[in-house]
Amino acid sequence: MKCKNSPLIILLIIMLTCAVLTTSGCSSKDENGTGEVSGMEVTSGSDNASHPERGSENNTLVLGEMWDIESIDPINGDGTLVCEKAAITETLVGANEDFSLKPELATSWEQLDENTWEFKLRNNVTFHDGSKMTAKEVKFTLEKVISENSKVASMLKIDSIEVVDDYTLKIKTKEINPILPGVLHYPDTAIISPSSYNEKGEFVKPVGTGPYKFESFDEQTRILTVVKNENWWGGKVGLDKLILKGIPDPNTRAMAIENGEIDFTVDVPYSETDRVDAIDGINVEKYKTPRVYKLDLNLKHEPLEDVKVRQAISYAINRSDIAENVLYNVGEAAAGPFLPTMVWANKSLKPYSQNLEKANELLTAAGWVDTDGDGIRDKDGKPLKLNLMTYAARPGLPPMAEAMAAQLREAGIGIETEVMEMGSIDDRREKGNWDLYLAAYNIAMVPDPEYILTNWYMTNGTDNTPGYSNPKVDSLITEARKITDPNERYKKFNEVEAIVYDEQPMIIVAYYGCAIVKKDYVKGYVFDPTAHDYRINAGMYLENKS
Amino acid sequence: MKYFIKRVGFMALTIFAVCALTFFLMNVIPGGTAKLVLKHTFVGLEESVTDEQLNQISDKYDLDDPLYLQFFRWIKEAVLRGDIGTSYVFKKPVLYLLALRLPATIQLAMVSMLIAMLAGVSLGIYSAIRENKISDHILRIVTLFGVSMPGFWVALLLILIFSLRLKLVPVTGYGSLENLLLPAAALSLHSVAAVMRVTRTSMLETLGQEYIRFAKAKGLPLWKIVSRHALKNAMLPVITVIGFQMGGLLGGTVVIEKIFAWPGIGSLLVDSISARDLPVVQGCVLAIVMMFLFVHFLVDMLYTHLDPRIRYG
Repeated sequence: MKCKNSPLIILLIIMLTCAVLTTSGCSSKDENGTGEVSGMEVTSGSDNASHPERGSENNTLVLGEMWDIESIDPINGDGTLVCEKAAITETLVGANEDFSLKPELATSWEQLDENTWEFKLRNNVTFHDGSKMTAKEVKFTLEKVISENSKVASMLKIDSIEVVDDYTLKIKTKEINPILPGVLHYPDTAIISPSSYNEKGEFVKPVGTGPYKFESFDEQTRILTVVKNENWWGGKVGLDKLILKGIPDPNTRAMAIENGEIDFTVDVPYSETDRVDAIDGINVEKYKTPRVYKLDLNLKHEPLEDVKVRQAISYAINRSDIAENVLYNVGEAAAGPFLPTMVWANKSLKPYSQNLEKANELLTAAGWVDTDGDGIRDKDGKPLKLNLMTYAARPGLPPMAEAMAAQLREAGIGIETEVMEMGSIDDRREKGNWDLYLAAYNIAMVPDPEYILTNWYMTNGTDNTPGYSNPKVDSLITEARKITDPNERYKKFNEVEAIVYDEQPMIIVAYYGCAIVKKDYVKGYVFDPTAHDYRINAGMYLENKS
Repeated sequence: MKYFIKRVGFMALTIFAVCALTFFLMNVIPGGTAKLVLKHTFVGLEESVTDEQLNQISDKYDLDDPLYLQFFRWIKEAVLRGDIGTSYVFKKPVLYLLALRLPATIQLAMVSMLIAMLAGVSLGIYSAIRENKISDHILRIVTLFGVSMPGFWVALLLILIFSLRLKLVPVTGYGSLENLLLPAAALSLHSVAAVMRVTRTSMLETLGQEYIRFAKAKGLPLWKIVSRHALKNAMLPVITVIGFQMGGLLGGTVVIEKIFAWPGIGSLLVDSISARDLPVVQGCVLAIVMMFLFVHFLVDMLYTHLDPRIRYG
């Protein structure tokens, strides 16, 4: 017994053995006999990818992405946005800064008759595997998307796709669909080569047409590496290599760039943007992205049914204060659902500015007065108390909810904020037992106002959470759908915007922002306001990175 | 032998019960499975989901079947073929995902436990020997700090000091020892404190025993008394605590994993719960339970070794 009398040593030996086993790649699940993982290959690149050699490859950019990279499949699942961000894939239709459409992989498109569209394709595009992109591959991709993603399918409304010649495609829609080109800017419709799939039809890797081509994806560390596409149709590409790693914590992203581990990242904590910007060698740029912070009001609940109460709430909120002190100017006070830079936006609308007197007038007119002196208004003995639910996946939301609650309280409206999980929020929205819901909605997945206005404001629209219904709005949108002249269509949509601006079934609080944080030696970056979050551009390069 | 069979039987029963509980609880929490899976794969968190899409997903994974049938199917596949399902979100076999993520968690748990044991036990002994001296008081206050500080805050502080100021280790990354140090240290803090406190108490109790007085009277030096006579007898409660801490660490810690972008099982589990990725949740829980049971089995075996009076059977 003498020699074994230290239990610590025994325990130590056991643990060390286990540690060695696990580090040498053994699956720990061997104990139960079922845990054999066979026939699976792990793309192991953790040795080179997690430690990008500094200096040896001077033209490599390391990017700290804001979400964990879970998948690289652009069609069936989660990889759509990362393929867009890393510029691996491109869509047929591009968009300008004002969200008007421009040619990308397609050079032109034309509506031949109500239901027929003809797309001319660029004839000098090659996929990353070296093959030419022709109408055949485009047809392949679109059909794949339609079969895998019924939401995109329902927006495309495609009946059939016909290959006319190598560079001409004829698309027949089931019904008249003026937003078809806009939907083809949706990142889910990015064109990939059939060689992205193996013989069995399983997805292997994204083979796109963009300035960067896929090199490796380490499924364990979730690091995505892309390299320069020498044959990009758009011309020269600035970086030799781009390494993307997901760093989900904003504080860690800030410290990682401060420590020089990454060269480019987004959304450090909003409150930290100015501090990080002040650091030597790092700069922070704040942009608006196509997304808005929006407060839905449950119109089926008695106080909110009254338009005066809704307007009063809107007047009670201090939007510019929120933009400055909650978002730290990563975002901006908002007037309507669209960014003022969008070509179709109603530019005459101005954000409601805080006006407590007006709020007081409106609430008093609606019958809500503080009779018992507790600071909360009441009517027929019922206090004006509302609950406000939101979620934490976007860092701006919970503090914004708190700030709004405090501001509404000043106007005599009691607010109880609840930060909840998406599943519970959905559940309550379905059951209708909620008053206010603060969320950040995308407003230009499709660069066209019809999609948003239909979903948000039409009676029974899919995102019409408040239950808003206004026959005038319905008829304006329906009329506009049949108009193909953009300016005429936009006029109708502007009218819709003006109506909902007055009626406030949803209160648009602020435009969503994005803080781009990069080292000073990262040059040539151009923010694409139509991208979802952000997108790497071909012109980016590194200057004298040491 | 009989004991072993009984023990394994109990383990199987526990595993089954936990799986069943997880499965049904996951289906009770609000929010439809199909809807949340879609939100986490196709459409984005805030976007609405079409009925067509819901049907597509429900059909694909048979989510409309009665729950007991779904569970029965899962159990059948798991027992007969060792197939615990395919992730709705990742579209990969769950075993494959676990094989990717578990090593990282086990590594982290092992190293932080190692730190906890080395630091906790030695500090505990030291503190016990110097009972009520000033160094004992300081140590106890420091451990109180260790128990009460939130892990994420300590983690950020550690990064600030060791990465940004001293430039010793990188902020994030996975694969080498230097990447492991900070997360392990941040994670072990709580365990160090727990182990230290138990060691101290248990050691004090043992040091008050008569055989220790006898050893002292015999003229044995202090280090010999502590290492040969007191430590072994004081170890039982310490081992128990270590077992429990280990179990907790193996479950992964979401906060630490998120901060260090560590590819462990904790964040996989939590993300899967919010995406209602049932097979992955089941797989993670299964793996955690099995590791937990295994560690406790080890602890029990150590008991008999430490105290031969304990016999199972």
